[in-house]
Amino acid sequence: MVQTKKQKYLFLAFCLVPTFILFAIFTLYPLFSGLYFSFFSWSGSAAAREFIGIDNYIRLFNDGIIPRTILHDYFLVITKVFGIMVLAMYFAVAIMQMKIKEAPFYRIIFFFPNIMSVVVIGILWTFIYNPSMGLINSGLEAVGLEQLARPWLGSETWALPAIVLPSIWAGIGLFMLMLMGGIGTISKSYYEAAELDGANEWQQFWKVTVPLLWPQIKVAVLYIVITTLNGSFIIVQIMTGGGPNNSTHVMGSYLYQQAFQQYNFGYGATIGVMILVLSLLTVFLLQKLMKREKVQY
Amino acid sequence: MEREAKGKFLTRAGIRLPLILWSIAVLYPIIWMILGSFKSNAEIYANPWGLPESFNFNNFIDAWNNYNIDLGVFNSLFVTVLGALLTLVLAVPTSYALERLNFKGSTLLFNLYIAAMMIPMVLGWIPLFFLLMNIGMLDNLFGLAIVYAVSQLPFSIFVLTTFMGSIPKELEESAAIDGMSPYKILWKIITPLSMSGIITVTIMNAIQFWNEYFMALIFLQSRENYTLGLAIDFISREAAYTNAWGTLFASLTIAIIPIIILYAIFQRRISKGMTEGAIKG
Repeated sequence: MVQTKKQKYLFLAFCLVPTFILFAIFTLYPLFSGLYFSFFSWSGSAAAREFIGIDNYIRLFNDGIIPRTILHDYFLVITKVFGIMVLAMYFAVAIMQMKIKEAPFYRIIFFFPNIMSVVVIGILWTFIYNPSMGLINSGLEAVGLEQLARPWLGSETWALPAIVLPSIWAGIGLFMLMLMGGIGTISKSYYEAAELDGANEWQQFWKVTVPLLWPQIKVAVLYIVITTLNGSFIIVQIMTGGGPNNSTHVMGSYLYQQAFQQYNFGYGATIGVMILVLSLLTVFLLQKLMKREKVQY
Repeated sequence: MEREAKGKFLTRAGIRLPLILWSIAVLYPIIWMILGSFKSNAEIYANPWGLPESFNFNNFIDAWNNYNIDLGVFNSLFVTVLGALLTLVLAVPTSYALERLNFKGSTLLFNLYIAAMMIPMVLGWIPLFFLLMNIGMLDNLFGLAIVYAVSQLPFSIFVLTTFMGSIPKELEESAAIDGMSPYKILWKIITPLSMSGIITVTIMNAIQFWNEYFMALIFLQSRENYTLGLAIDFISREAAYTNAWGTLFASLTIAIIPIIILYAIFQRRISKGMTEGAIKG
């Protein structure tokens, strides 16, 4: 049976059109209409929507909290990239090079927090930081360092760094597996040749492992940056809600507060546009920065 | 010989130490959370980090009966199952068309779906809120399931096209020569042959939907619609006043048990799916 052209197009439409319509309604339309809303003053009711041009953007530049939220976001980005990459790299290299026989155990355990709900992670760690009952303060008291004990999440200085730790804790496993996958493809002969040339293990790591692993490192860093800029507000919302005194607000949690708690939907959309622009810009710059000639030995 | 082995053992132990410490750092809080769900409140205050004196299920009963955890579990199950099914219904035919049928603009469409993975969806949530309100789907679990399904479309299409690309073309061609309609080919040949990909995608999506918190926070309002994450968050915010810590731990444990079970069965598939999804995406 030869299909007629019409039948072929009908089948194609059957496959593509319903999915695309839903994708357009629930993903494309909201994004573009978010851009559009950013030019309105709007508290939620249809009648009260008023076109105000770039006033929201002027307000954005004059809002004293905005620079802090940006700073907090990039603080999380940088600390997470370094924290996760250093630990994940150490674990990956240790497991792969040492041929440890309980390696599957570490793989399984380290990865598990990656599939835990942010709600569970956030609440669990809030309790770990609990000033009176929490693990951190009890631990410090147990080793005689009670002067270091403090209400971690209640302190303007310590709340944001305190949020980094659970994010690293939850993220390590995935990136360790990514790096392990890369290390597995590096041929043993490179290390043998390096050893003959008298390179010690540290030099081998920098001269052989890192360059050959660069594609995986690049992807891992980009992935951490994107997921942090687009999603760090979830754990912030659960653990501190942006407080104390805005000291942990990131762009996303500030958007949530402005739009869904104070009903400034237009201004919220403007913050959303800023998140979009900054996140695309960062990824673009990072891709340029991390571009390296493909290494071939 | 023996001494050399001993020296090697020591270096190995030194390298192992951080691995062991990190294992404890990962496991201890999780195990402690599960143990905490069996403790009475008095015990939690007196001895928050030790073993429970006895295993009693009062906290679970309390969470289930008095803190809406029963509703949370059912609502989460509902959006998880419906969302995962809907994602498949939407993603499988599109993935097949994008991978196997040559048509103008197929690369463009594919790239459009993939690009959506990198876009921060926060911006879209404000208009989505009003869209759902206008079509009467706000504070509605069906509405949430649709939003979930569409949000996982890019990832699902991405993984499914990779799987479908590895199916030999001859099978479809000979089926077409035998007079099978393309709809039947999709249903009887492609779907069963890409079952491995379909299972991977479905597990990943189900975990995602079961764990999701923020969209539920925005798009659901009444307590009887709360998903598990929202119900737990509610208990957590109240715990400062009610001191229902045991109940909180019990509900966290309830949330994590299905994930532990899925992970125990599909550990390889899940970690592989996520790693590859991240690398190629």
